[in-house]
Amino acid sequence: MNLIGIMSIVILVITIFTLVFGVIAYFMYKIRDKKNAKRIPTNYEEKCIELGTDFIFFDK
Amino acid sequence: MRTLSVFLFFSILCSLAFYSVVNLQQMLLTFQSDFLKVGALLIMAFTVIIIARYLLLLFFSMLKTIKITSKPVKRSNELFKVSIIVPAYNEELVIVKSIQSLMQQNYPFIEIIVVDDGSSDQTYKLAKKLEFNQGNKSLVVLTKPNGGKAIALNYGIKKSTGDLVMVVDSDSKLSDGAVELMVSHFNDEKIGAVAGSVFISNRVNLLTKLQALEYIEGLNMVRNGQAFFQLVSIIPGPIGMFRKSALQKVGGYESDTFAEDADLTMNLIGNGYKVEFESEAVAYTEAPEELLDLIKQRYRWTRGILQSLGKHKAKLLHVFKTPSISLILWYMLFEAIFWPIFDVFGTLFCLYIAFIYGESSLLFYWWMLFTVMDVAGALYCLMMTGESLYLSFYAILYRLYFISIINVSKIFATIEEWTNTEMEWGKLDRKGRL
Repeated sequence: MNLIGIMSIVILVITIFTLVFGVIAYFMYKIRDKKNAKRIPTNYEEKCIELGTDFIFFDK
Repeated sequence: MRTLSVFLFFSILCSLAFYSVVNLQQMLLTFQSDFLKVGALLIMAFTVIIIARYLLLLFFSMLKTIKITSKPVKRSNELFKVSIIVPAYNEELVIVKSIQSLMQQNYPFIEIIVVDDGSSDQTYKLAKKLEFNQGNKSLVVLTKPNGGKAIALNYGIKKSTGDLVMVVDSDSKLSDGAVELMVSHFNDEKIGAVAGSVFISNRVNLLTKLQALEYIEGLNMVRNGQAFFQLVSIIPGPIGMFRKSALQKVGGYESDTFAEDADLTMNLIGNGYKVEFESEAVAYTEAPEELLDLIKQRYRWTRGILQSLGKHKAKLLHVFKTPSISLILWYMLFEAIFWPIFDVFGTLFCLYIAFIYGESSLLFYWWMLFTVMDVAGALYCLMMTGESLYLSFYAILYRLYFISIINVSKIFATIEEWTNTEMEWGKLDRKGRL
């Protein structure tokens, strides 16, 4: 096999691998972000907006 | 000796590019079926557009460099007061270094305003310790409930007293004399803003080195080429200076997109302002070190740019009425949507040919052509910046690995923007490697 043929196969394999890897990486990012979003604690101001009040009263 | 070897290398690259084009053309013209003919036609059209894009940007970038060398920008006679706004949200690892680089600027008339955007870490406390007031130079640290970068910037702009407003990201460090260099462009009344150069400070792994190369190419080929027409398409978040009256005229930053810097630049150009580029004013910034963080960043950029383009889409067709903004919008549309889609389509088409007809050399010539252009572009840009030429070898991996993965995430981001999928800002975690 000539050099162009060998190089073509190498590029072909790497290209397929990279495209598949790109798609997997994208979905991994989406899954990670969803997990992180669940973990983010809400702060006082955000909780006030969520509840539609100016103050939150805590019970002892 | 160095010039001769670079010339020889460029000659080899030109020969390889020519060889690839001839072979690509010969192979594409041999297709018989209509489906393959259409595919081949699209690939050839895309290839011609990309080659033209590379050559035109290189050409105008060279013209811009010649223009600056033959007629350097005059130092400003007028002493503008510069207000530097630093929006910060949970940046305790980098905020001190960032502020210190601003305090070291030799420009005599500076007001630094750090806007803490409701951080839940030590950002405000650390920045507050650095506050000072020496008359012509001062640093004030403000805090407000978290509301996003655009609102924080507008808050800082409102509190500022300078004639010029400089915006610096809190994860960035400025080079010495950056402020003075950027101010010198504002003698021209038409200049509404000046973009600076952004360099990667944490070149610690393959991914960050590839990004370093991407930034250097983006600056010296794209931004410098655009600056020949004084139409830089995006003022980068890490370093940008604005005429305050221009900011007030366009209403400052708007918070309805995830790319507030691109949106503001479009607004400025749409209002007839010129946007310059100062290559010597440098901001060093941290790049994502992990692949998923990089995808997160590019996802946000792509959707943000598409949102900005959506806001200004009416001006796309104003080719004769407002040619500047129309040109910039078409350019950004091409970079954000058409290029990634056609690049992936071209690769898939070549893969299809390889599997159905057992002809994988089409993919090889297609890859070689673009890689040769990447290497040539990288070499030119590295020589212009005085950076080590070894980075140009990364250009080979750039197309094979980096661009393909980024393009896939750009396509997904485009689909999600069209389908209006909910998204969040998604702040990147800092490593503190400024």
